[in-house]
Amino acid sequence: MKEAFIIVGFLEITLAIFMQWQIYLKKIVTTFSISSYAISIFLAVDGIVLNNTNLLVLSALTAVIRGFFIPHFIRKKLNKECYLEREIKAIIPVAASIVVSLVFVVASYIVYHSTLYSFINIPGGSIPIALLFQGIFLIISRNNAFVQLVGYMVAENSLFLFGGYLFPELPFIIEGGILLDLIGVVMISGIIMKLREENVSSIVDEFEEFKG
Amino acid sequence: MIYTYLLFTLLILASLSCFAAKEKSATLITLFSSFVSIILSLIIWLSSTISTNFLYIDPISKIMLIVTAVIYTTTSLFSVSYFKHIKKPLLKQNLYWAFLNLFVLSMFFSVIAANLGLLWVGIEATTITSALLVAIDNNYPSIEASWRYIIIVSVGLIVSLVGIVFIYAQAHTLDIAYMIQNHQDKNRLILIGSAMAIIGFGTKAGIFPMHTWLPDVHGRSIAPISAIFSSVLLPSALFGIIRISQIAPFGQIKHFMFALGLLSVVFASIFMVNQKYYKRLFAYSSIENMGVILIGLSLGKTGLLGSIVLLISHAFAKSSAFYLTGNILSVYKTRKISDVNMLVKNMPYTAYGLILTSLAVTGAPPFATFVGEFLIIAAVYKIYGFAYFSILLLSLLVAFLSVNYKISRMSFLDGKAMQNNSCDMISAAVPLINTALAFAVLFAIPAINKILSGVLL
Amino acid sequence: MLYVLSALQLIFVVIFAPLAVGLFHTLTEKFESKVGPSVFQPYYDLYKLFNKQSVIPKVASPLFQIVPYLTFSMYLFLTLVLPIITAFPLSFGPVVDFIGGGLVFGAIGALKKIASLDSRSNYAHLGTSRTSSIGALSEPIIVLIFITFGVISHTNNPYVINNIMQTSSQWYFSLVHWFVVFAFFMALLVETGKLPIESHSNNEFGMIDQAIKLEYSGAELALMKWGGYIKQFLLMSVFLNDFLMPFWVPMKISLSGVLIYSIIHLVKLFFLIVIFAAIQSTISKYKLFKNFEYIAVAFAFAFLAILVYFTTGGSV
Repeated sequence: MKEAFIIVGFLEITLAIFMQWQIYLKKIVTTFSISSYAISIFLAVDGIVLNNTNLLVLSALTAVIRGFFIPHFIRKKLNKECYLEREIKAIIPVAASIVVSLVFVVASYIVYHSTLYSFINIPGGSIPIALLFQGIFLIISRNNAFVQLVGYMVAENSLFLFGGYLFPELPFIIEGGILLDLIGVVMISGIIMKLREENVSSIVDEFEEFKG
Repeated sequence: MIYTYLLFTLLILASLSCFAAKEKSATLITLFSSFVSIILSLIIWLSSTISTNFLYIDPISKIMLIVTAVIYTTTSLFSVSYFKHIKKPLLKQNLYWAFLNLFVLSMFFSVIAANLGLLWVGIEATTITSALLVAIDNNYPSIEASWRYIIIVSVGLIVSLVGIVFIYAQAHTLDIAYMIQNHQDKNRLILIGSAMAIIGFGTKAGIFPMHTWLPDVHGRSIAPISAIFSSVLLPSALFGIIRISQIAPFGQIKHFMFALGLLSVVFASIFMVNQKYYKRLFAYSSIENMGVILIGLSLGKTGLLGSIVLLISHAFAKSSAFYLTGNILSVYKTRKISDVNMLVKNMPYTAYGLILTSLAVTGAPPFATFVGEFLIIAAVYKIYGFAYFSILLLSLLVAFLSVNYKISRMSFLDGKAMQNNSCDMISAAVPLINTALAFAVLFAIPAINKILSGVLL
Repeated sequence: MLYVLSALQLIFVVIFAPLAVGLFHTLTEKFESKVGPSVFQPYYDLYKLFNKQSVIPKVASPLFQIVPYLTFSMYLFLTLVLPIITAFPLSFGPVVDFIGGGLVFGAIGALKKIASLDSRSNYAHLGTSRTSSIGALSEPIIVLIFITFGVISHTNNPYVINNIMQTSSQWYFSLVHWFVVFAFFMALLVETGKLPIESHSNNEFGMIDQAIKLEYSGAELALMKWGGYIKQFLLMSVFLNDFLMPFWVPMKISLSGVLIYSIIHLVKLFFLIVIFAAIQSTISKYKLFKNFEYIAVAFAFAFLAILVYFTTGGSV
């Protein structure tokens, strides 16, 4: 499983960089969907190898919610309003944001090796941390609600990779609670996002009151 | 223990029935359940410390339960009168009550959870249940604020979940009572885990570098929601930090908390000087108060007492302040400080209430906030010396001056008289009750001191 | 023997370089359901140009005239030191390693830029500035790739790298290697002026490298073009022999082996060109400033390769 973990992990990182590169929302969403499926397959195989039902549940939820449901929801939304297809503005220039997310990958490698390596000693242990950073950076660097939601879910994926691979023995009640919460956040943010996109076209400038 | 379960059943039933009920009956159900929850939390206060597989109720939890119940009651009361000012609400009134009940339920849940994972679940659940309440005004700014709230806070909480997993990797358990009794060895893993958990919970509590969602949400959500956010939601996120610092009582963690708290106080006071909107002004004041509480928590002993006193009295005072801003907004229809004037002539009760509460939230004497801040500042002087003491004092002074100058400007500056200045009885009375409570906390300090003596920090 | 093989390699490259380009153009047109020019069109172009009169700007210095001959001979030198149809060093092989080869490529680029500046033509200047700014960013990618290979093989010798890749399936299937392959492929599209970066039309908006030789004519232009063909051929061969498909290249000195391989090499090149042509006809050109994003992604791949090496030690 070690090799599979590293391959899936680096695939995730390259897909996250690919998401930074894209301007078309549809492509970002498709890329995210692929990355979710990759994690889901990895967790399923890991669960079969370790004979752990928790991991199978995690895998199924990853595939259904983040692989299929949310991307499908966003795509349906995009088909209706084609002017949302291309992202209007990125806060940080794309080339710079690619390089910055690369820096995050390196930084997480250094952080992992200087701090955690002596406790959680596995090759590629820095990958979930790097993915977490990249998800957060995707939220920071883009101003679009869809991309921000995708960024949040990238961070969530990293958490699943992290918890699923490194700590499959977490108590089930906690894992269940965490899962319910994460699903709830995604649902609620879907609702808010829908409301926000309905209103956003009428506001051109940044809302003045929110400064300072 | 039976009363805790009773409390939970009550709130679950209340929220479920509110989904189904008509508007009027939903209001009545919520008011009833809030009054009963005060009684139940008082009974829990009198019982001893409970520690089972799912419940861990120590003195701090009891205090949080009471504060939450009281604010829940006053918020419900105030919402009854405030709801008619909302033009096109996002949710129907019965749904509003249902989500409010769920929100309070998740806060109750997070302060009594016996397990760090469940504590996290509770705090994350507050985000889910309150996101729609923030956007209840149903206009672009409030939805935008709600979006920022969800994204920033849930990312922060993911960071804290990673921290909790690290703690689990070290301790192989998440049971809070067990981990408080048996401290883990100090090593990098648990230090990083605790620091990440503090950052995450600090995001929810509006601690400085992660505070950006807070002014937007407080500035744009309706007055009762701002009040319950500022007075109980932020402290229950701080409660997560309290648990972390109990589990990992190491020097580095204390210094980290102190640094975050000091930064929050300094920056919030700087932002307050130039604030043009009164609700945002009070939001920054909340950040500043949370910073002071965090400093107190990092110091322990008298600092702990001070921060608990400040936490309680700030909850009452700040909720009162936000209720009053709601009254002003409903009459003046503006959020700008410069557009509000002659408050004393137009809305005398609100004006004097606002002056008193703004004194209370900035820690002026007769109010218990003064005692809390005094204890914390004294502890800072004793432990960290004169330099940090003077920085803290200076920032508090700046905050005091900017809030009170702006509020007195709003109250006394000459301007035109408003025609429609009628304010109904409830919305005038509720803030006054809370301001009085902020003063009455003074008399409870000995009891708090006694009950806190057994708390390890 | 080695001298004979060197001569063979030189002739092989010089002769087949225009063919590769012709094949590329024909295939591209074919993919767009057009008839397309003959595969031998570049040869006809070169023949035509050699018979034309040269025109040289009045303001240009003698350097302008010398540069085509200079750069062409430098390309010829490069063909002698890279593994094209042999996996053992030829007689000039020990002269330079990968970094040295990169330096010669850099020197050729610099000479071309100086000459185009010397022509005082606005379009040539535009090409120079574009090439310089893209080159400044794409060079680090190439350097990073060489460093990664240096880490794997403890040498910068292209022949040694080919031998390691041929013999060790562990390295060939490692994640590090495939990251490097991907990064080099993206850099290759930049260096050979293929589509997402540069479109070869007569429209000066899209010109990058092409604009540099705008003021040349006659035999000088022919040499510049031919040099460009050789450059593409060399880079593609290096990509195939050191990165993507290092197999079957003869590691022992034998004339028949080399002759057989030179045919295999043409087949390999054919498949690579098919891929290139497919990309060319499916992708549209980036805006000039989007090129830097493309280069940033290529850089990310090259950098991740090193990180993968440190994470796995090459075991995955």
